[in-house]
Amino acid sequence: MRVQDELRGDIVIIKLKGDMMGEPDTAAFREKIRELLEKGMVKIILDLSGVKWMNSLGLGALISAFTSVKNHNGDMVITNVTKKVESLFMITQLIKVFKHYDTVDEAIAALE
Amino acid sequence: MKQKTESNNLKELTIQSKTSYLNKVRAFISDEAKKFGFSDDEVSKITLAVDEACTNIIKHAYKNASNYPIHLRLKARNNTFEIMIEDQGMPFEPDAIKMPDMKEHIKSYKRGGFGMYLMKSLMDKVEYKIQPGRKNRVILTKYLQ
Repeated sequence: MRVQDELRGDIVIIKLKGDMMGEPDTAAFREKIRELLEKGMVKIILDLSGVKWMNSLGLGALISAFTSVKNHNGDMVITNVTKKVESLFMITQLIKVFKHYDTVDEAIAALE
Repeated sequence: MKQKTESNNLKELTIQSKTSYLNKVRAFISDEAKKFGFSDDEVSKITLAVDEACTNIIKHAYKNASNYPIHLRLKARNNTFEIMIEDQGMPFEPDAIKMPDMKEHIKSYKRGGFGMYLMKSLMDKVEYKIQPGRKNRVILTKYLQ
């Protein structure tokens, strides 16, 4: 899985590309979150437009990232969720937990 | 990895208990589900349920040891698509594993525990047959509407 990040003010946009099917897919993502939190970057937008599918290990990686960001008094929101991944969020009720927005701009406005 | 086709729409695949082989399982199941007539959405759900079952076997039955067999047998007949998955790992009591209250589970930010919940949510029927000391078997069924 590819992980790219972009800084907009004090907000970091992490763009994930590929399937999130556990290790090693999620290792780079986990490392990126750790690195950002160490630098004190705690406002994070996850752009999931490039994530076509994930399994329970991928969902677990997302929850783990949310927990870490929350523990650093930060906030993480999700944007551009594909239909298939959204259906998984619905099944697992994660849709009620993750703050999600249709576009990156809406997500930025929510975090500012 | 061993794959064979038998008569009566019976197909089999045996892999070693390594997560790197799960892509073979996903390809096998998704090809067969597509051929059987499921929509792309249903194909994804069936494939994910089987992936979760195999992941559970690797993690829990074989405790991440990589040299043990996972045997899949697919029976696709009439409107019934049935995948039987067998392992020879640690037995477990499926009834003892409580389905998590997802709202509470998520509130406490637990990262695991989704596997069995997903399997039951994605398939029409999930049955376990455990023979301690011999084999564990899970049968996942999806009906073509």
